[in-house]
Amino acid sequence: MITGDRLAASTAAGSRARGNTVDLEGIVHRYGGLKAVDDVSLNIEAGEIAALLGPSGCGKTTLLRVIAGFVRQSAGRVLVDGRSIDDLPANRRNVGIVFQNYALFPHMTVAENVAYGLAARGIGRAARAPLVDRFLDVVQLKALKDRLPKQISGGQQQRVALARALAVEPSVLLLDEPFSALDKGLRLDMQIEIKRLQRQFGLTAILVTHDQEEAMSVADRIAVMHKGRVEQYDTPSAVYDRPATPFVNSFIGTTNLLPGRVIGREGGSALIELDAGAVLAVPVEASIAHGMRVQVSARPEHLELHATAAPDRLPVQVGLVVPLGPTAVLDLRMRDGAGIKLSDRRTDSLPAVGAALHCGFRADARPSVFPLATN
Amino acid sequence: MGRRMSVADISYVLAIGGLATVALTILVGPVVIVLLTSFGDSQSLKFPPPGLTTKWYEALFDASQSRQIHRAAGNTLWVAGCATAGAILFGTLAALGLARSRSRLARIADTAFMSPLVLPGLAFGLAALMYFTFLGLRPSLELIMLGHAVVIVPFVLRTASASLSQLDPALLESSASLGASWLYTLRRVTLPIIAPGIVAGGFLAFIASMDNVPVSLFLAGPRSDMLPIRLWGMMESTLDVRVAAVSGIMVASVLGLMLIMERLVGLTRRMRD
Repeated sequence: MITGDRLAASTAAGSRARGNTVDLEGIVHRYGGLKAVDDVSLNIEAGEIAALLGPSGCGKTTLLRVIAGFVRQSAGRVLVDGRSIDDLPANRRNVGIVFQNYALFPHMTVAENVAYGLAARGIGRAARAPLVDRFLDVVQLKALKDRLPKQISGGQQQRVALARALAVEPSVLLLDEPFSALDKGLRLDMQIEIKRLQRQFGLTAILVTHDQEEAMSVADRIAVMHKGRVEQYDTPSAVYDRPATPFVNSFIGTTNLLPGRVIGREGGSALIELDAGAVLAVPVEASIAHGMRVQVSARPEHLELHATAAPDRLPVQVGLVVPLGPTAVLDLRMRDGAGIKLSDRRTDSLPAVGAALHCGFRADARPSVFPLATN
Repeated sequence: MGRRMSVADISYVLAIGGLATVALTILVGPVVIVLLTSFGDSQSLKFPPPGLTTKWYEALFDASQSRQIHRAAGNTLWVAGCATAGAILFGTLAALGLARSRSRLARIADTAFMSPLVLPGLAFGLAALMYFTFLGLRPSLELIMLGHAVVIVPFVLRTASASLSQLDPALLESSASLGASWLYTLRRVTLPIIAPGIVAGGFLAFIASMDNVPVSLFLAGPRSDMLPIRLWGMMESTLDVRVAAVSGIMVASVLGLMLIMERLVGLTRRMRD
């Protein structure tokens, strides 16, 4: 029996990864004279979630639409499992999408929405029913199967959209800002839910988002995009700890950029004299040369305060103390009046506002150093 | 507790309220008068009626007395039905075609489709008669249908376009990504969602066809008697009170249809779009 086989097959799929690799080769997309996507190449491993992360207008949504087949790229190829899908129309690409507004069919019930893709493929009503039930089960919405989309909550609508996309057993799952319309509390639940389902079905997924926390928590790898280009494509921790460009550095997390000059170079590290008055020994890339103007990126959690002065510590004055749940953020004033942020575990012994202290890097901190554009 | 109104507030309320009253009187008054007249027991159209009776309605429904009116009413309903079906088909297709395109040609085509709405009916009637005669066609019921269809297409085009412009493009992309062909998407997503708009437009189109005089006047042949023209003829010759009775029935049925439409598709909301 077809139904039974399909059901058995998709249940068995839960235990083994059967995702496809997705490769983008030199994708370019022009709108008029503007390059919305500029020579993007990415390799996404089977069963991974990759996030396309960037500010609005960075080309991430256009890239998603190229993969879905809604727009045709000006140049480059999209390969799924090694085969080019460029000549396939959107309805034959077998790509599942969850849209930002979920795009549920408003005139169909929850069950009809989930059944839609199966019906469009010519699977008969009798064969559809058990599959629809199964996918409604997967997202725990069986009880609401006869409701219309407008009769259920935003989170439930998103689960329907997810079930609808999963029901056609897509080769790739595309998620277009899927969490942005949800309340903050629900957002984390849905992120976990999507990750669970993606794992369960062994799907390769691509998540488009402008929210770096979302990308960090959901994705296996993050492509940080800026002005149509991919600035860095790496694991969340690598993108955070070792940003490749100043843009990535400032877009992911918060950071303090401290200007300085390279006054010594030895092996893999450099001696940098910060304008604010401290000398640091930092491991750097080979491109950082002696005498160069640079900026040192100091993440707030990489800094700590000391009572005593030292050559590698900046003299600061405490400007503001903001307790944020388990951490506290301190706004410090440097000698030149510029601000610098520091975050630390919140304890009872937070420094008083106005106290003169010395700010240095934690022993385990690895600050990034970027050449400073001189102009 | 309402706060005290200033002189400006009071004069505003009086002016707007007064205008509204005048407008309503002008709009509703004739309907009330024709309804009362239709129940009058005088031998000709007269207001106020001396006494009340339902004999004109009885005469109207009596097949032997009102054969010609029945035939004209039948023609009118048949023409309106067919013309509306045509207008729904072509209006919806035009709306679907125009919705996708932002080219200048599409704008021009849109204006062309809408032109019957602003073109004087008499001018179109005359033009249609000359055109069809030039093509070698004789005035007939079918020509009236065609003429009506052209004149009433804008109603369907407008409401269908309005519905389409509110259709979320993500729904169509969603459908495509789920494997649906454009035809399947049209059948299962686009048409069901814009259907209320089409039905609302079709209703307006139907009423416009029922009511149309100028196009019917020019395109009617000897055997294609239409209700509004027959009523006019009866008014001219005999001041027959059945004219008022026919009007009464039309007012009542349109009112009934409007209520149903409002319930089903939110007619007034779609007319505002």
